[in-house]
Amino acid sequence: MLAAEDEAPEAREGERALLRRARTGDPAAFRALFERHAPAVWRFLRDSFRDEAAADEATQETFVRAHARLTTLRDEDRLSAWLLGIARRVFLEARRARGVFLDVDGEESEGLVEAVLPTPTPEDLLLDRELEALLAEALGHVREERRSALLLRIDHGLPYEEIAQVMGWSLPKVKNEIHRARLQLRERLAAHVGGRP
Amino acid sequence: MSFSCREQELDALLAGELSPADAERVRAHAQGCAACAHALAWLRLERGWMAQRARRMPARPALDFSALEARLASAGARPTPAPGAAPHRAARIASPRSQWSHRGVMAMGAAAAVAFIVFGVGQVRPVSSPEVPWSQEVLVSGMLQACVDPSGEAVAALEDRFSACLIASPALPEY
Repeated sequence: MLAAEDEAPEAREGERALLRRARTGDPAAFRALFERHAPAVWRFLRDSFRDEAAADEATQETFVRAHARLTTLRDEDRLSAWLLGIARRVFLEARRARGVFLDVDGEESEGLVEAVLPTPTPEDLLLDRELEALLAEALGHVREERRSALLLRIDHGLPYEEIAQVMGWSLPKVKNEIHRARLQLRERLAAHVGGRP
Repeated sequence: MSFSCREQELDALLAGELSPADAERVRAHAQGCAACAHALAWLRLERGWMAQRARRMPARPALDFSALEARLASAGARPTPAPGAAPHRAARIASPRSQWSHRGVMAMGAAAAVAFIVFGVGQVRPVSSPEVPWSQEVLVSGMLQACVDPSGEAVAALEDRFSACLIASPALPEY
């Protein structure tokens, strides 16, 4: 899923047209929207729950709700943020219903000095399976809310203002939390970048 | 990074969110600032990793539209048309399945009404049996209802109402 700003104008117009058709009950249009956005919604929920089966169920629930509420979406260019907002509510409700907190809050690392981190090299961009597992583990050490905010930014490409809406936070808090999440993530991954073989 | 270096601006630069003038200013600054170049390298790394991660999506049942379609059909879900919006042709011409569903619901309603009359009039049971405590009677009626309508929602609602697991309960007397 891409933020509206990253998309070509034609793609955006195409999505608006799909949305309008879906709102009038066109099942093919809703299917097209689902196929376009479901992978990102699932990934966001998988990262939130840290459980693929839970993400499956929550993804379906998200789109059932989205289908019923399509006409309530005011800004057609904010479909991604709207869907992720629904997904976030589904996640919070599921977590509350289970009565347990699936996420173990990560350790804080407020005193991290950025200068101690190595500078990534172009080779570091290659995400192999081992590094992908390390990345998942590192993300797991970031507190759930903070992690969600970070991923809404770096994975889903939402602008800070839309992240504030999805998370129900003020804009300064969004910026602060994302910054802290980044530092925590980098601290965890620092040993694996900057001249890896 | 000095106080004038802001990671959010570098982030916005990579996201293409800056105006051309601001993008040029931030880019020029980053070229001569070691701290910003360092931060920019990390931001690029994050974006690159995320893009690769997104491309490695596993095949999941939830991403199959037919699963959602079945769920929407069972819920009888239709988006509420926007005010003034004409329904799509595909929606106006009801599909065979939706027509069947509509007729099926009507048939089930009629059958339920007949059953209610037959069982309600023909099988008058004592309102309360002295042998069977009230709570057990309620439990039994709950069991019967769950058997007639074995949907997960109905069972869950009953279980929630009685704060007990009805289906698995071994405490019921034999009749």
